[in-house]
Amino acid sequence: MSVIAPKFRLGYFLKSLTDNIFWIIVLLTLVGIPAIMIVLFFIDLPVLDGTLLTPFLAFTMMFHPELAVPVVKSLLYSDFFRIAAFPGFGFAALLAAGTIFAERKLLAKLQLRVGPFYCGKFEGILQLMADGLKLISKEIIIPAKADKPIFWTAPILFVATAAAFVSLIPVAPGWVVADLDVGLLAVFAIIGFFPIITILSAWSANSKFPFIGGIRALHQMVSFEIPLILSLLGVVILTGTLNLSEIVESQSNYWFIVFLPIGAIVFFISVLAELERIPFDLPEAESEIVAGWLTEFSGMIYGLVQLGSYLKLYAFAALFVVLFLGGWQGPMIVPPFPAEIITHGIEAGPITVQVPGLPITTQEMLNGTLWFTLKTVAVIFFILIPRGVFPRIRIDMLLSIGWNKLIALAFINIFIALGLLYAGVLGPGGLL
Amino acid sequence: MDSFLYLRKSLKATLVGEAVAGYSHVLMMFGFAIIATAPALIISRMISPRRRSNPVKFLPMECGQVPSGAGRTHFMMQYYAFILMFVVFDVMAIFLYAWGSTILNLEKTATLPIIAFLGIMFGAMAYALYQSKRRDIW
Repeated sequence: MSVIAPKFRLGYFLKSLTDNIFWIIVLLTLVGIPAIMIVLFFIDLPVLDGTLLTPFLAFTMMFHPELAVPVVKSLLYSDFFRIAAFPGFGFAALLAAGTIFAERKLLAKLQLRVGPFYCGKFEGILQLMADGLKLISKEIIIPAKADKPIFWTAPILFVATAAAFVSLIPVAPGWVVADLDVGLLAVFAIIGFFPIITILSAWSANSKFPFIGGIRALHQMVSFEIPLILSLLGVVILTGTLNLSEIVESQSNYWFIVFLPIGAIVFFISVLAELERIPFDLPEAESEIVAGWLTEFSGMIYGLVQLGSYLKLYAFAALFVVLFLGGWQGPMIVPPFPAEIITHGIEAGPITVQVPGLPITTQEMLNGTLWFTLKTVAVIFFILIPRGVFPRIRIDMLLSIGWNKLIALAFINIFIALGLLYAGVLGPGGLL
Repeated sequence: MDSFLYLRKSLKATLVGEAVAGYSHVLMMFGFAIIATAPALIISRMISPRRRSNPVKFLPMECGQVPSGAGRTHFMMQYYAFILMFVVFDVMAIFLYAWGSTILNLEKTATLPIIAFLGIMFGAMAYALYQSKRRDIW
């Protein structure tokens, strides 16, 4: 039983090897190269020094040290890099992964536990990788009579919707995936998809606990969407724009949390409810309804839902920073790029290397990213803290908080904004 | 120039298609997330064990009991009033954004009708909340 390949013959092994090589060559020539050509037809390639950068040129420039930095720069400013890496998916997923680890350690410290400890040399820093490997190698169990297509696609749609939300967040001046004139309305439109995905996955599982959790999630997300929308109206009244980048630029002198603290508090509480975090974690209440709408998820499906919910957490924290804490605005603390490297090159002993094309990014972009990340991490910290402190509240208390108290406070916030505008404190001719 | 295909922005007119093209990045990000995460499910399906020996394994979770009745049942939807209120007041909240984003260009007298609108909606909401406590009518 434990013998690996009991009928091993060298001839069979060589035959399978040559077979595999043959099929790889055939598929590459018949499918791979035409597919690359078709893809290249639709991608608009950047122009460098007056010549079109074809893939052939890009490969030859790798060996041409003068052009290495410009090639990297042209890739850095392409749409694909923005979507895949920096203000888009990679950056958000990195912060989300960091949030998961920080949350586990923080909760452990609050409850006088150790937390993840044994994976990795330092404080269990590799725990997340171990969890990922565990989840990806576990069996995915789908309950009998479940609606299989919806059950498989709901986690992917959850992650993709969270990623679409992330695409609207401006991280640094000019660094945003989708710079829309109606950015804030687009945010509301995307938030509106989450209850639908939740209730679909809950209904498709054909189980009672996910269904109860899904109905609770629907009530919660739906009733906290109105205070969330109304609490941001004050910011829109004071800036007169819905574009998120312009909202950040208008906060260069004063952050809006100074003038609209009530709106910020209402928005923060609504965010806690939209994210289903304690004290509003009724849809996932583990002591009442097993795991709520996540009960039937197992293996990588569960992992994807977790990734989506932490991407959503990052996006909401970033939205709070953008709207109330001034986004990327902050004092310039990043030193300017040394000018002698641009004029003279890098000197190391007797050797001087001229590197044309530097600097790769601007000082403003680095500084903005630094401040944005610092503020976002601070807001994420404040979203995580209540989990160690508060108990869960009842559903009727939740609905009465959402509908009676938060909406009334949001209306008060609107009138504060109107008063500031008409008293001439803010707006045209005011402080901003 | 006054076709609905053109948006007038100050003196410069832009094609509606150009304005809509900005949204394509949101869709591209959506698609990228699908392309980036779907392989995780496929790889998991390829490397994880799949044993179909025990049919009890595929029963829905009911805390160790054999499940009774259908999973998707008709049931009494409590707090249904709040869902109905959401349908009305969500639209109201979005209407307010049309006013809020242009308020710097409007005259100050234009605020009074909006405040009257807010008052009417606030009264309606208070009445609906009062009615929502009487659960016997839902």
